[in-house]
Amino acid sequence: MHGAAVVVGVGESVYYKRGGAPDSEFRLACTAVRNAVEDAGLAMGDVDGFVSYMDRNEPVRLSAALGAGDLNFTAQTFGGGGNGAGAAVTIADAAVSAGYAGCVVVYRALAQGQFGRYGQAGRPRRSQGAAAFTAPYGLLSPAQICAMQTMRYMHDHGVTQEALAEVVLAAYAHAQHNPRAVRHGRPLTREEYHSSRWIAEPFHLYDCCPENDGAAAIVVTTPERARDLRKPPVAIVAGAHGLDRGDGRGAFNEPGFPTAYYRHVGRQLWARAARHGITVDDVRVAQFYENFTGPVLIAMAEMGFCAPEELDGFVADGNIQWPDGRLPINTSGGNLGEGYIHGFGNVVEAVRQVRGESTCQVAGAEVCLSVSGPGFAPGSAVLFGRPEVVGAA
Amino acid sequence: MTPGRIPEDWALPALSPHNEAWYTSGQLALQRCSGCGSTQHPPEEVCRACGGDRFEYVPVRPAGTVHSYTVAHYPVHPALAGSVPYAVVLVSLDDAPETRVVGNMPGTPLEEIRIGLPVAAVWEERKAEDGTLLLMPHWTIRRDA
Repeated sequence: MHGAAVVVGVGESVYYKRGGAPDSEFRLACTAVRNAVEDAGLAMGDVDGFVSYMDRNEPVRLSAALGAGDLNFTAQTFGGGGNGAGAAVTIADAAVSAGYAGCVVVYRALAQGQFGRYGQAGRPRRSQGAAAFTAPYGLLSPAQICAMQTMRYMHDHGVTQEALAEVVLAAYAHAQHNPRAVRHGRPLTREEYHSSRWIAEPFHLYDCCPENDGAAAIVVTTPERARDLRKPPVAIVAGAHGLDRGDGRGAFNEPGFPTAYYRHVGRQLWARAARHGITVDDVRVAQFYENFTGPVLIAMAEMGFCAPEELDGFVADGNIQWPDGRLPINTSGGNLGEGYIHGFGNVVEAVRQVRGESTCQVAGAEVCLSVSGPGFAPGSAVLFGRPEVVGAA
Repeated sequence: MTPGRIPEDWALPALSPHNEAWYTSGQLALQRCSGCGSTQHPPEEVCRACGGDRFEYVPVRPAGTVHSYTVAHYPVHPALAGSVPYAVVLVSLDDAPETRVVGNMPGTPLEEIRIGLPVAAVWEERKAEDGTLLLMPHWTIRRDA
């Protein structure tokens, strides 16, 4: 179900290699929010809500530091990480649609140089809860957890290492067109991919997202408010957030294992999009959060783009690369090539595709899907589109 | 430290009423609801089938099949630098195929580990820093399968 809200602004800080940011994480957040508000043509005093996921930068401090208006709404999603990006957008949509706030910024700032690295683990003195069944055996990092899921999925469905490579090569190819991308000017060959060291089999180094510093934000408001703003609004056509019954059990005992936790999100999202006459076949460009390549492929199948057994063929031969592929993905370079801002760069890029502003613009893209972090529950996704596709031109 | 072996003091489980049988009995003792008799793993504080909160812990045969695995090459903590590469296996239990258990196969060459491999549980003693004695299940190839 879409609410009535639209996206009117996008912005980001410069994206840096981990440790490369001259600014603190909080200042990166401020920069991204300011840039998004300016892009919208709004004043900071118009902003009355903040929504994020797993973020350290509190709305109370942010709104005071930025000179935002009265604070009417704050929220943050539950869940394991970058899988909350789409959910945060749907929460902003709900808040604006219900009238709890008029102008909500959704943001994510992440400085892995200043704070802990996602690719490393702390040393738990003693393991507790579900982790007591995994951590003592050295299963700790997101890469290792997703490797366990991906290894079985590849076995069950005949997915090959070449399919994983295609996800990487698409991101790096697209990053070469995007001056904002951390990997701009540093292309990657298939041979370099295959010869890179293992992190956790079946993931090579390049299957894993980098650790970056940066921040990104979007501005969500009402269609009425959007009418006299700087850029054409982008509709939040449909969103979904959740998981199948029982898939939250943990320690790989989900009934759906191996899953990226997107079967439920896919069914919900397409049921909601169908109210506007939109199906998965109408999607010509999509952003898939890459934590690791394997879960991207699983999410692609679970979101309904192809059957699991068709994945190798679906992604082969440049089929997910701009400009000629049938479904270019991660057209900014994505988490792998543009920068890993916990997946919020993928949300910004989806809005840019609908606006016609991407550096790998898919001609005539009326909708763009943004799928958040796979492999950790619950999943979330948002379908953005031109206002006319929801009859709200 | 030996490649393939996790350090003996690494992240040992903190015992709770729900995992104590698993980590001290020397058996694969699954959590079973005293009310409705259904089992669940990992253990939880309430029964997902009936909402009950009284459990017993019943052993199943220490046999299973490798359902998935990964080989960790990058040490995510400096204390694991001497352990890589090590395999982490996910074992589907013969007596409860929907139940999957994470473990290591410290005595098995990495190249022999594959999906579908029949395995048997073996136990290794660990002593936590507070003196608690733990019996940690590990896995080895089941040659009679």
